[in-house]
Amino acid sequence: MEALLRELHEGPDGIAEYRDTELSGAELTIGSAADQRIQLLGRAVAPEHAVIRKSGAKLEVSCRSGRRIRVNDEERSSAKLEIGDVIELAGHRLTIAEPPGGFDVAIELRPNESIDASEFESAFRTDLNQTWLSKRPAAWLLISIVLLVGVVLPAIVIVMHRAERDAPAWLMGDEFWNSGPLSPAHQQAAGARCDTCHKEPFVRVQDETCLSCHKTIHDHVSPEHLALTQLGATQRCATCHREHNEPASFLVNSSDSMCVDCHAGSQQKFAQLHVEPVSGFSKQHHPEFKAQLLKPTAIAAGSGFELEWKTEIAALDQAVEETNVKFSHSQHLDPDRVLRRSDSQPLNCADCHRLEPDGEHFAPITMENRCAACHELTFDPGAPDRQLPHGKPREVVLTLQDYFTRKFSDPNAGKSTRERRRLPGHEQEEQTCNGAPFDCAMRSAHAEIETQFTRRGCVGCHVVVDTKSESDFDRFQVYPIRFARDYFPAGRFDHRSHQIQGKLTGDAACLSCHKAKDSQDSKDLMLPAMAKCEECHGDRPAVERVTVQCVSCHSYHPQAAVTVEAPGS
Amino acid sequence: MIHRNLLLFRGARYLWWSLVLLLISGVLYATQGNVQPPNGGTWQGYVLGTLGALLILWLTFLGVRKRSYASTLGTVQGWTSAHVYLGTALLIIATLHTGFQVGWNLHTLAYVLMCVVIASGFFGLFSYLNHPALISKNREGGGRAELFAELFELDKQARSLSQRCAPEVGIAVASSIERTTLGGGVYAQLFSGDESFFVRGAGSPVRNADQQAVIDFVAERLPRAQKGVEAANLQQLVVLLCRRQAVLRRIRRDIRLRGWLKIWLYFHLPVTFALLIALVLHIVATFVYW
Repeated sequence: MEALLRELHEGPDGIAEYRDTELSGAELTIGSAADQRIQLLGRAVAPEHAVIRKSGAKLEVSCRSGRRIRVNDEERSSAKLEIGDVIELAGHRLTIAEPPGGFDVAIELRPNESIDASEFESAFRTDLNQTWLSKRPAAWLLISIVLLVGVVLPAIVIVMHRAERDAPAWLMGDEFWNSGPLSPAHQQAAGARCDTCHKEPFVRVQDETCLSCHKTIHDHVSPEHLALTQLGATQRCATCHREHNEPASFLVNSSDSMCVDCHAGSQQKFAQLHVEPVSGFSKQHHPEFKAQLLKPTAIAAGSGFELEWKTEIAALDQAVEETNVKFSHSQHLDPDRVLRRSDSQPLNCADCHRLEPDGEHFAPITMENRCAACHELTFDPGAPDRQLPHGKPREVVLTLQDYFTRKFSDPNAGKSTRERRRLPGHEQEEQTCNGAPFDCAMRSAHAEIETQFTRRGCVGCHVVVDTKSESDFDRFQVYPIRFARDYFPAGRFDHRSHQIQGKLTGDAACLSCHKAKDSQDSKDLMLPAMAKCEECHGDRPAVERVTVQCVSCHSYHPQAAVTVEAPGS
Repeated sequence: MIHRNLLLFRGARYLWWSLVLLLISGVLYATQGNVQPPNGGTWQGYVLGTLGALLILWLTFLGVRKRSYASTLGTVQGWTSAHVYLGTALLIIATLHTGFQVGWNLHTLAYVLMCVVIASGFFGLFSYLNHPALISKNREGGGRAELFAELFELDKQARSLSQRCAPEVGIAVASSIERTTLGGGVYAQLFSGDESFFVRGAGSPVRNADQQAVIDFVAERLPRAQKGVEAANLQQLVVLLCRRQAVLRRIRRDIRLRGWLKIWLYFHLPVTFALLIALVLHIVATFVYW
């Protein structure tokens, strides 16, 4: 397409001047940019505004998208052009004229002379708001994304879960609302299902939800007792157990305030329950320890008696432990008097006291598992391999009767009726019996039974009562021995972590609390008072003090349900 | 120096406000921890979160106050000064609210959006403190319209003078004017991208960055000019092209500085709205799954 562009200007003297330009090309571009074939300036002109091209035999003008021009005083986005048509754009007038020979098109341009210099800028995109950057669409886009991940996807997943359908694992649903990691065990149980615990929207997690899995948990106070206090309902599980926290292992709010908030005012708030107030761990804030002990009471039973064991709680300085065993710690720990049988070394605490796997309690001490290694129950130096049965007085009587019967009736024995009796100062002196073998045997057995129960043997460790009964079987009754399993059932103490105390280790560590070297009687309760704990521990951080909290020693959820005796009883 | 006054408004009054807020927040944060690790779920965390949310709402309200020309509720300058200081304080308060616990969740999304808003705000503040001086120095007192008027006047003169030179000079100069680019896309505006070309002789268009190539093309012709008039025209043309080069540089620099002055708002505002939505969702989601 060959085009002739005639630009008309008004000269300084009012005479029209014109300048002709020959343009050739498939189309004539119109716009404010310098590379447009017809460059028109002005704010209303886009860098690329419109295009004139041949359409068949006719000319056609069409605007770029969103642009408009006026054709013969009519606003158009495109138009067919005839000779004489006038295109107007920002005050510039383009008139289609009869093309002279050799040209397809002739256009007469009368530029808008009053265009201000400031409008020259419109030929270029010089401001960021002319680019794709835009605040409003960007805001809507971002808002849409936030709403999508923050509301829409969670809602979809919640609806699927309510319909008992599994949401695909890749779909981030209400998990996106998760404010922090679950503790690993809960994570395993709940997985991606928030509704495992969060049953109702806008309702806090209910205790029943916790208890649906934790069926065997016990509270440290029974509901009946709680009802007697002015404390109101039990705290929610979540009061202490805080989920979605970091680190993920954090689950228990173990601060003292959780306990002390109620227990500090126990005298006012606990009504008839009579619980001593606690507000910390020091002499002023915590009651002195009290030991739970077993107290035997003898009651008549048959020809003798039976012991009834009751638990008794006693202050440490007044407590007497009635185990019925005769035992001196001081004697056993004295190397001049007792040495270990296997290697002739002094005894250690651990020779008798073996810590159980829980780290708190010690394995029960029995004759068989501890004492018997040194203390044999032989009764006849001539028969060092024969021992009396332990713990069964009736069997002891039978054993001795059997032993002597055999001894006196054995025809192969050289001196069948020779009786060997042990007398003080006459250990090896032998006596003879000239009666019938059975009578001799019974007499010897009777004498030996009396010796074992009253002078040596049983009576060395046990309290034996002589009922003066005629029958050997009924005459002696031995007080049974029982040790308290746990002096402080309401407290927890880790012996293992106390096996090293500063520079003290081994027996020295044990003896720093338990004054065993000074104890000559099993009635001594060698339990340290609170002051001993306070040497190393305090309830708040301090130099060279290990901080302890209430829950370091006490448990809110005891192993077994609490069955405190009814108040007043 | 109106922008300097932004920070020193009334003896940096809002700096002190912010410092007091930060002190309170710091104390709140420090009193956490003996019960459970610091996070938004402790009572201190709730207080910090409420404080942060109120700050976000108030900070957003600057956009409303700025447009309320009739308002007498403090000066816009005072509001902006407070906006800067309290916005900075918000970054710390919200961080304390998080307890430094982050994850792939809605709550951290809100926090990150807030950080983007504040970071873009810092950039904006930096621009407002530095660029106006650079811009007026570059323009040397004139406006951008004057620069463009000068450019178009030089274009006109160069076009008409080049018509009187050899045809290849005419083509070169006319094409260099037609194919001069200024501004353009985001990158071109912010980094003064120059995609100018010119037609050198019969060949295809060649690069004409900073107009240097066309000036060299015309200048190379000077020694070979045979007539005195031709030499004088070429001489004059080189002068025009060099002036044009200087004006173009100035305009490009102006576009670049103005671009950097404004670019932060394209992040600051849209992300603010996303933040408001995320903030509401953060609060609601916290209580949906209480």
